[in-house]
Amino acid sequence: MDENVLARLVPGISRLERTGDNTFASTLAIKLGPVSGSFNGSLELEELKEPESFVLKVQQKSSIGNAASAIKIKLSPVNEQQTEMEFNGVVKLSGLLASMGQRVVGGVSGTLTKQFFSNLESELERKQSAST
Amino acid sequence: MNITINVKVNGVKYSNTVEPRLLLVHYLRDVLRLTGTHIGCDTSNCGACTIHLNGMATKSCTLLAVQADGMEITTIEGLAKDDQLHPLQEAFRECHGLQCGFCTPGMIMTAADLLQHNPNPNEEEIRTALEGNLCRCTGYHNIVKAVEFAATKMKKEVAV
Amino acid sequence: MSTNGLIGKSVKRVEDKRFITGRGKYTDDIILPGQTYAAFLRSPFAHAKILEITTEAAKAMPGVIAIYTGEDLREVNGVPCGWQVNFKDGTTMKEPKHPLLAVDKVRHVGEAVAIVIADTREHAVDAAEAIMVDYEDLSCVIDPLKAAQPGAPLVHDDVPGNVCFDWNLGNPPGEVDEALKNSAHVTTLEFVNQRLVPNAIEPRSYNSSYDEANDRYTLYTSTQNPHLIRLLMCAFVLGIPEHKVRVVGPDVGGGFGSKIFHYTEEALLTWCSRKTRRPVKWTATRSESFVTDAHGRDHVTKAEMGFDNEGRITALRVKTYANLGAYLSTFGSCVPTYLHGTLMQGLYTTPKINIDVTAVFSHSTPVDAYRGAGRPEATYLLERLIDLGAQELNIDPAELRFKNFIPPFDGVNQPGYQTQVALQYDSGNYEGVLKKGLEMAGYENFRNEQKANSNGKLIGIGISTYIEACGIAPSAVVGSLGARAGLYEVGQVRVQPTGKVSVYTGAHSHGQGHETTFAQVVADKLGIPMDDVEIIHGDSEAVAFGMGTYGSRSLAVGGSAIVKSIEKIIEKGKKIVAHKLEASADDIEFANGKFTVKGTDKSMGFGDVALTAYVPHVYPKDLEPGLDFSSFYDPANFTYPFGCHIAIVEVEKATGKVQLKRFIAVDDVGNVINPMIVEGQIHGGVVQGVGQALFEGADYDENGQLTNASYMDYCMPRADDLPMIETGSQVTPCPHNPLGVKGAGEAGCIGSTPAVVNAVLDALWKGGYTVKDIPMPLTSERVWKAMQ
Repeated sequence: MDENVLARLVPGISRLERTGDNTFASTLAIKLGPVSGSFNGSLELEELKEPESFVLKVQQKSSIGNAASAIKIKLSPVNEQQTEMEFNGVVKLSGLLASMGQRVVGGVSGTLTKQFFSNLESELERKQSAST
Repeated sequence: MNITINVKVNGVKYSNTVEPRLLLVHYLRDVLRLTGTHIGCDTSNCGACTIHLNGMATKSCTLLAVQADGMEITTIEGLAKDDQLHPLQEAFRECHGLQCGFCTPGMIMTAADLLQHNPNPNEEEIRTALEGNLCRCTGYHNIVKAVEFAATKMKKEVAV
Repeated sequence: MSTNGLIGKSVKRVEDKRFITGRGKYTDDIILPGQTYAAFLRSPFAHAKILEITTEAAKAMPGVIAIYTGEDLREVNGVPCGWQVNFKDGTTMKEPKHPLLAVDKVRHVGEAVAIVIADTREHAVDAAEAIMVDYEDLSCVIDPLKAAQPGAPLVHDDVPGNVCFDWNLGNPPGEVDEALKNSAHVTTLEFVNQRLVPNAIEPRSYNSSYDEANDRYTLYTSTQNPHLIRLLMCAFVLGIPEHKVRVVGPDVGGGFGSKIFHYTEEALLTWCSRKTRRPVKWTATRSESFVTDAHGRDHVTKAEMGFDNEGRITALRVKTYANLGAYLSTFGSCVPTYLHGTLMQGLYTTPKINIDVTAVFSHSTPVDAYRGAGRPEATYLLERLIDLGAQELNIDPAELRFKNFIPPFDGVNQPGYQTQVALQYDSGNYEGVLKKGLEMAGYENFRNEQKANSNGKLIGIGISTYIEACGIAPSAVVGSLGARAGLYEVGQVRVQPTGKVSVYTGAHSHGQGHETTFAQVVADKLGIPMDDVEIIHGDSEAVAFGMGTYGSRSLAVGGSAIVKSIEKIIEKGKKIVAHKLEASADDIEFANGKFTVKGTDKSMGFGDVALTAYVPHVYPKDLEPGLDFSSFYDPANFTYPFGCHIAIVEVEKATGKVQLKRFIAVDDVGNVINPMIVEGQIHGGVVQGVGQALFEGADYDENGQLTNASYMDYCMPRADDLPMIETGSQVTPCPHNPLGVKGAGEAGCIGSTPAVVNAVLDALWKGGYTVKDIPMPLTSERVWKAMQ
């Protein structure tokens, strides 16, 4: 896993540093409706089965509350050109994030997901144009 | 980096150097010591901090002190003119439109704005105008009455 | 003895002047010389182990004076509970320590973990954010039923099954079971009385200072009872001498119960002011208030009411699980028991009653008294059962109530009514208020209209007839039930040499208008202008000792104490006058502010008597100078206000939206001193009750997060949600206090909730829907779902 690519893909990441084989320290800036903040924490890749799947474990702390999530990402080839990406996750929020941000979590996570995929698309395009 | 602002509050000019993050309501309460403007929430929902900014009812927790630079502010302390209570102030007392008094300054400032724009509001219009101000004591019943009372009184004053 | 007609008049409030001009003085308005500001770091978790707290970086931040954590306070006591309830087997309830700052573990979201003291509020907040805490998140439980299940996560390791106590009251359970078995019909209802957040608009605020030179403390606090706070803080928490501490409750922006309790922050700030030798101030943000002000209600209940063939109630059996939150708050234990179980008789002649309560801890904000405290829960239970019973038995709900009412009794010529659940009602005329309420509502017309209604609109009418126990409380009685304090009140009347009067009361006004009502009583009884009377309250330095304001007690108990002192003043005045006018004290009459020798025109004005008392040149030899009396009044019984509330609603079929069209409140609160103020109390109470029925409720998720902890999410009643409230009154005087008053503060909140819910269900029933219960608040979504 290339952390520089990961940093470009995940919306809101301002810093990502490798701290171990599959662990990273991160800084994220996220706005959830009325609350926004800078999160510090760790990203961890577990159950890594390259190239088909892994679980991304995220532990983030901030003055507006904590977030802990486990996201399972599964890649399955559809054909030569296409890969299907499936993801499924649980997020646990606490503090101000939970008491005031909860209402908008659905909307924001939708936006962030879209952003992730558009980042992924442009990354792929970039790779493609670089290779050709 | 602190910033100097010039404001006119209740007819008096002030010049102060403030932190850029200072909310207007904290400026009024802590710097100018005008504590009649209250703070009841941190999400701009309760309306206890309502003041008039260039003549318009504004929740003073929704903006920074530096944003009020160059503006004219009226707080509850400045509503009575020459010791003559504003008709709304009288009406709130007359109609028992307050109990603990904490939401009252904001209520009165919002109601004053309403009557400026609509001197003859019906019950529904009054209730709609006040829906951004929370009161936990009165059940709003006597507040609505007070606004009706003040409207009638102000019309009479104009007529004289 | 009423002399100038002030009692009973809607006198405009004397306290209003300062509030309408922005000159009220609330705790947060006070800045002391050398003021510092506190900010708290609070737990984001409902249940977690504290592994490590790192404060070094925070301590180095600008303006920081001190940072303390639970570790620094390990040896300091926690805040106490003021009421001991015993388990059914006689053992004492579980009282785990409620520490000022969490030690080792946090037990609810919002529990304080560290306090920062800095030179400005902003610096304190900045530093609090820089404290790092390492938590180990643990599983939690919020629901009281689940908390009492075996295997539920424990809130306190030393409280097995999370049970603080279990409790039973009434007739022996066997007798009640038997009576239910023999009943022609049994109505059963399982329901939740949801958790509410009190939401006084002024957030809690404290400012504590320590004067080293004199070893004296001063605490300004947004409280309903300054003396009680001083007593609890000095004697139970900090172990500091009570006479060295002054507690002041200045203007307080609403309480509704939530400002009765001794909160951890009060004691902690006082402790910090001594440590830092600086005054320390803290005002809660609304976000903090939501998770730290004691919540209200939160009962899960199963209730069964038996009826005979005639529709007469035969028995009532109740099982309630009461959520106490993570810690025992000051009166958390007595709310679901002695303020709830004891009201199960309601207004009815039910011959057999038994209530069983299990009080449990959970990983949530502590629960305590909120306007009505236990009595709204009891009323909701009874009034919902009566209406459901009426529906099941096909009897009109008004008729079913008339069938079961306790007949009128005045407590003088007829004795008080002995209930099956310990209390003895003082006086009542329950049919009277229902009759009046039905009349005001146009009940029969409404029913006809409802029947004729063909355009598909769902309209409903809901009745609630309630009784409450107020005027809290006879000390000996509550003492025998576990109260750790007496519940009398003090009233000092100090006549100044010029005849002006200063009155000191231990009751505390935070919206109730005591400065007006009490002055009316004094001016009326002494026959002097109201302007000559000033009411002083809220300062432990000024007032001898008092128990404060809650449980609709101020006038019934505090007012009665003042009346006792007035009687002593008149008595002494007579002696002074008798000496001066050379008559016998027995021949002196007092009326309209004048002492007169019976049958003569010889008299002395009140002012002259006052002057003589302080300039005693011609004065009885064995009489002390001065005219200043203090009295303590301990009531003989609770007072029992009652009333009838009726709601008329319209339910939109397509969306389930409930519109409250009319609300009628007929309340009998005994004699009324100031009708304007009483009506105002009713209006406010009614709307809080309507809030519970239609809008409010604390929503915890499964992780113990309060997900609607702001005014954006917690739905407070707003001006445009409500109609005007129609009030009516009836007067059945209290037979056992000198003013004949019963109390009006909580009535509105107690009667209104079931009236609204009954109205919505009535609309659905008459519209052909079969639904037994809709959990409060009755949001559009819930009503719509119930209709599908």
